[in-house]
Amino acid sequence: MNTMVEAIDKATGAMSSAELAGGQHSRATVGDFTAVDPRMVCRNVDVWYGSKQAIHGVSLDIGKNEVVSMIGPSGCGKSTFLRSLNRMNDTIVGCRVTGSIQLDGQEIYDKGLDPVPLRARVGMVFQKPNPFPKSIYENVAYGPRIHGLTNNKAELDELVEDSLQKAGLWNEVKDRLDQPGTGLSGGQQQRLCIARTIAVSPEVILMDEPCSALDPIATAIVEELIDELRQNFSIAIVTHSMQQAARVSQRTAYFHLGDLIEVGETNHIFTNPQHKLTEDYITGRFG
Amino acid sequence: MTDSSSLKPIVDLASGHTVRRYDQELAKLRGIILEMGERVVEQTQSAVRALVDREDSQAFRVLDREPQIDFLSLDADEEVFLVIARRQPTAVDLRIVLALSKIADDVERAGDKAVRIARQALELRDLNTGSDLLSETMRETLRQLDDKACCMFERGIQAVATFDVALALHIFEDEPSLYQASHEARQLLGEQDREGLTPRQAVCLLTTAHALERIGNHAANIAEQVIYVALGQDVRYRNRDILIETLRHHGY
Repeated sequence: MNTMVEAIDKATGAMSSAELAGGQHSRATVGDFTAVDPRMVCRNVDVWYGSKQAIHGVSLDIGKNEVVSMIGPSGCGKSTFLRSLNRMNDTIVGCRVTGSIQLDGQEIYDKGLDPVPLRARVGMVFQKPNPFPKSIYENVAYGPRIHGLTNNKAELDELVEDSLQKAGLWNEVKDRLDQPGTGLSGGQQQRLCIARTIAVSPEVILMDEPCSALDPIATAIVEELIDELRQNFSIAIVTHSMQQAARVSQRTAYFHLGDLIEVGETNHIFTNPQHKLTEDYITGRFG
Repeated sequence: MTDSSSLKPIVDLASGHTVRRYDQELAKLRGIILEMGERVVEQTQSAVRALVDREDSQAFRVLDREPQIDFLSLDADEEVFLVIARRQPTAVDLRIVLALSKIADDVERAGDKAVRIARQALELRDLNTGSDLLSETMRETLRQLDDKACCMFERGIQAVATFDVALALHIFEDEPSLYQASHEARQLLGEQDREGLTPRQAVCLLTTAHALERIGNHAANIAEQVIYVALGQDVRYRNRDILIETLRHHGY
């Protein structure tokens, strides 16, 4: 079949799904939610806060060496979904997660699974930089030490340096490792938190609006870092900045009222999304 | 696909941004191009009248008005630049801005063709020794070619006003008759050449026929951009027959 005909069939077909039932929008996810080489596989994930359902049957893969961005208006469930990927929601009373979330084929919500080592394998960087009230060195060394990842001081020193190098912070702090992490600038603190996360050799890094408290220069540095980290890690990032999603990710997922509306290649989502809700949101036609 | 209502573009292309100023900026850009288009049609009709009906004043009028279209195209470029800088458009907005930028080029170049025709009218005036240079058949053939080219171009501009895919398809469907009219003009010119046109006079008329055909081509380029905006599909360099059949099949 002619490729143009296929493209038009696809485009018009997707439009029809968006217009089904007299303008009611289908809640079925538009696009392919699978990854070629998945690290995390999520299927039909529901998240409840007490009797309120925050996430409705979301299926999404996080692939190896890719950055997946999650966008959507406030309250759409993107952060809730992100936090369910390393059981951070366990700490919230009344929160319940159903469905399947697997990391390298292992169910992370298995009753026998200890969430502490899980959170080393699936690390997290938060919106506001939150270094420990300790030295720069100790911020990075803390994780490897409690997880027993090194055998001696020399190995730990090497791991701290390597993590700070990967976080792009080494040259700025190598002469003041004994100084408090809280004394760094906001952008440096966030990179210190990233160094702390990667020091325990995670497979997946979750980032919840990691640049929202940073200025444009610090943001650019972190975005460059995200691109470099992709070579070694899988990354899922929640961001309110659509330009940031467009810049840093290979795939983008659009959430709306707890549903995963559309997922696809970032280049495609930002040039020719198939669902009206996605189009309205990324073009600023949705409040 | 039988429900034609399901094939409407997925957003209201004309408005609806939370930031209303954004709507106004896009409307301003589109307004500039619509104004350019209207002027190009007027210019073309005046230029052909100057040549066919020997109205020299119309030719001078076309030459005088040329800078207005050029200045409008500069305004369009400026608006494109500012919208990109201010809004970082995405999705359909990005397609609108990119397409309008290309459409502005096509409209400006169509305006150049009108000027070229006006220049041929003045050159023919200078070359002509008698009053009956053109036979009535030749005049009528050029008028028909002018009507066809201007009709296509007007449709193109109307299609831009609403990003109307059906109207864009009409333009593609008009292309064969445009080429037929152009072919007839060239054929007739060959006959007239034997009836005493000098080579230089024949070149002027050939140039005119070619310019009118090119105006129709610019209309088709505009139609391609309209479809790109509305459907997100780049249909340039695609087989027209298959394109028309596919989109008609989908209810356009």
